[in-house]
Amino acid sequence: MLTTARTLPIFVVVSITLVRGVAAAQGESATPRAYDTLPDWSGAWSMVGGTVFDRDTQTGEGGAITPGVRSHPPYNAEWEAIYKSHLERRDKNLFPDTISNCGVPAGFPRHFNLPDPYEFVVRPEQVWVLTENGPNVLRIYTDGRKHLEDQWATYTGDSVGHWEGDTLVFTTVALKGFRDKDVILDRTGLVLSDQSHTTTRIRKIDAATIQVQMTIEDPKALTKPWVVTKQFRKMPAGTRLYDYGCAENNRNPADVETGKTLILGPDGKPLNKE
Amino acid sequence: MRTDALLVALAFSAALVTGAAAHHSGAGFDSEKVIEIAGTIKEFQFTNPHTWIQILVDGPKGGTVEWSVEWGSPNSLGRQGIRPSTFPAGAKVLVRLRPMLNGAPAGAFVGAKFADGKTVGRWE
Repeated sequence: MLTTARTLPIFVVVSITLVRGVAAAQGESATPRAYDTLPDWSGAWSMVGGTVFDRDTQTGEGGAITPGVRSHPPYNAEWEAIYKSHLERRDKNLFPDTISNCGVPAGFPRHFNLPDPYEFVVRPEQVWVLTENGPNVLRIYTDGRKHLEDQWATYTGDSVGHWEGDTLVFTTVALKGFRDKDVILDRTGLVLSDQSHTTTRIRKIDAATIQVQMTIEDPKALTKPWVVTKQFRKMPAGTRLYDYGCAENNRNPADVETGKTLILGPDGKPLNKE
Repeated sequence: MRTDALLVALAFSAALVTGAAAHHSGAGFDSEKVIEIAGTIKEFQFTNPHTWIQILVDGPKGGTVEWSVEWGSPNSLGRQGIRPSTFPAGAKVLVRLRPMLNGAPAGAFVGAKFADGKTVGRWE
């Protein structure tokens, strides 16, 4: 008969073996860079410019819908037609923002196209990019692990990377994209497929500016890589971030039947249903 | 100029008007026009994702009409010094707003002026 004292070591050995097995499967082998050698990205940051994902998608009076002028994104014919249909619905206020009904993450790469403050939290084993709006969290593993071979798709995907000097370089894969119609890049109706993947380079280009350069590839939707650069400006020292309880008092849901963004009156009924 | 619920209608450049709301499209509001209403604050909903100022305005045939005036997120406004107490219930106020396109009693906040002359937002 085994005593408790004899059973415990066996349990511990088995547990450690199981944990090591999981760690090995996720490729946790490299030694993270020492904390005091990492760049200082502390503080609160605000995206420069509006929430059109790529300024080259926006042209003149006709906005992004102007044919033959807009140069980005490099959609193939099938996805160009999808985007054009979104633009046409947008112009009629019938293309709903997927986050207007609260509850789903903004997703990647829209994570770098949001209003309200950002925080870039640098740790040896991970970097977290936190957005007040949403809120959303982008976790970038820098502990040497690899993407899982069988990673299932999510809104924000799986990001692993490494440091090249003071530049964080990472890849993001396993994204839902527009597969379930609940991830967009901006309100012009920019979308990517569930085959998109991105290589992102983040660095501080001066004391008050963080630059995020994304090279987006999508064999299903794009004919060539699409490079989009966003910048984030440092907010005043001491800036606080707060809850973003989207469902607290959402008086602007999207109508599920028409896609129209509603404006609810004090009685909770739409003022613009017609 | 006087209409049923509006004391003054003002033509402002759209460029002067505060930006579209961050959480949703601003397509329901008239970006070309700013109007002014006079009323009594019923409630300041200092809530996410957007704040709303509820204002009771005398109706043309007696009674009151409740206007809903949408503003930014409490987080963003709070960082600019706005507080739940900025619009106290019961206070008389003039409010300028971008009205809804269909004439419903709601709009996007531009600015406000209280009886003591204090102003909030954009009030040139």
